[in-house]
Parts: sequence; structure tokens; C-alpha cells
Amino acid sequence: MTPEARFRAYMHAFNTDDWDSLRVYYAPDARLVIGNGTELRGRDAIIQFYAKVKLQTRRTIEILQCFADGKTLAAEIESEFLAIADVPDFAPQPMAKGDRYYLNSFLFYDFEGEHYTRIRAATFRREFRPAAGN
Amino acid sequence: MNRETAGLRRWFEDYLAAFNRADFPAFGDYYAENLIFHGQAAQLTGRAMVLDFYHMVRSYLIERVELLGFVGASDGQRIAAELRTTLIALRDWPDMPTGPMRTGDTRMRVSFAMYDIADARFTRIRTAGFSPPRDATA
Repeated sequence: MTPEARFRAYMHAFNTDDWDSLRVYYAPDARLVIGNGTELRGRDAIIQFYAKVKLQTRRTIEILQCFADGKTLAAEIESEFLAIADVPDFAPQPMAKGDRYYLNSFLFYDFEGEHYTRIRAATFRREFRPAAGN
Repeated sequence: MNRETAGLRRWFEDYLAAFNRADFPAFGDYYAENLIFHGQAAQLTGRAMVLDFYHMVRSYLIERVELLGFVGASDGQRIAAELRTTLIALRDWPDMPTGPMRTGDTRMRVSFAMYDIADARFTRIRTAGFSPPRDATA
């Protein structure tokens, strides 16, 4: 499987909340730096973080482009967060049920074999779209 | 890095070298006429506007860009780069778009940049600021 195909499978697992499949993509000591600089260490911490986000919002990721070179894959993604309840402590800004938040990000995934060892994200663009009536 | 992208990297490094020595004709030659530029300090369209912008910036600052990471697409039409930019103010710039600087101030930032390429020229350049890592438990 190419790194690009593996990445698409990884994102499919993410979008379908398939945590058991998702965790095997990460090295046990994988590090993830999200757009605000927060660093998560270890596959368990990463999975817990994503699972918590998905309790409050329905997050769907679309891959806009990805390409690999050596042991790094670069990706541009768009994340849609749909608030499934009021989320006053949503990191970018408070969300009310039905609101949507979009993040376009540039990412680097370092990998060894089939495992991501380090993931880093930078936010290119963000957009808040309140639900009608909010 | 594979054989195809090694040449792409050398081409890109030459661009950065020209940019760092403020060789406007050399680095301007990398820009397509209709270049779309989404930088952190400006959003511009067209090679001439981008070069005018950098002429203005260089009247205030020394700007140096260091390549920290490079990912080239095998089709030769896309580059993702991790860049460290160092700015040194030559004179006061109180209304600098990313925040005021005073003579002698130094500012450093890391960015992730995406470059689209056609006919050996950049057609689109987009950058996103990377926040330095901080521990989630801190």
C-alpha cells in the first residue's frame, strides 16, 4: 500500500469512528501537535483526544490533497465540526448545537513502516458558520 | 526523498537562496504571471504585486528563510515545505501586518507552506503558521 493510500484508509477510519482500526496507524509513542500547539504523546492520548472531540461534535475530514516523499507525507485537509450539542468550551470558540466550524490545515506526517511517528498541523483557514437561528 | 523529487528540492533550494539574498530577478522568475499568494502578512494576486510587496518588506526588514522540511510530489507540481523565517527590523515598522517591529527587533516563526507549480513556476503559494508544541498536560 502506498503512503497516500494508507493515509486515505486512515482518514476513512477516522471519519467512521473506527477507533480500533485508527490506533494501529500510530506508533506507540507517536506525537501529535494540533493547530493550537497542543502536543499529545502516545497513541492512547491521541485516540482519547479524538474520541472526546467526537462526543461533542461530528467531525468529518476531507482530504484535499496528499503526497509523500521519503518518510514524510504532506496533506491538506478540511475538517468540518458539527456541534451535536452546545459546546461552550470548544477550543476555537464556543459552539451551539447545529453550528459548524471549518478548519483547513496543512499537515506533515512522519512515518516509519506503517506507523505514524509524528504528526504536526498548522491552520491555514478557519470559518464559523452558525446554524440558522443561532 | 526519491530521485524525482531530489531535483525538485534543489530547484526549490535555489529559489530560497535567491530570496534570501534579495535577488529579485532570480526569485521573481519562479513566480507565474498570475501567481496567487496567501501569505501571513498579505494576500496578493499577480507576480508584479508580490514583488512589489517584497520590495516594500525589504525596505523595512532583513528576511531569511530556512528550509526545515521538504516534501515534493512525484508529479513535480506540488511542494510542501516547513520553513523557519527570521525577520530583523532595519527601521521601525509600527503598522507591520503581523505586528509592529522596532529597529533591531528580531522575530522568528515557523510556517508550513504549500506551493503549486506549473511550467516550472509557482502558480499558488499558501502559508500557515505553525504553533510551537506545548504539552497537553502542562
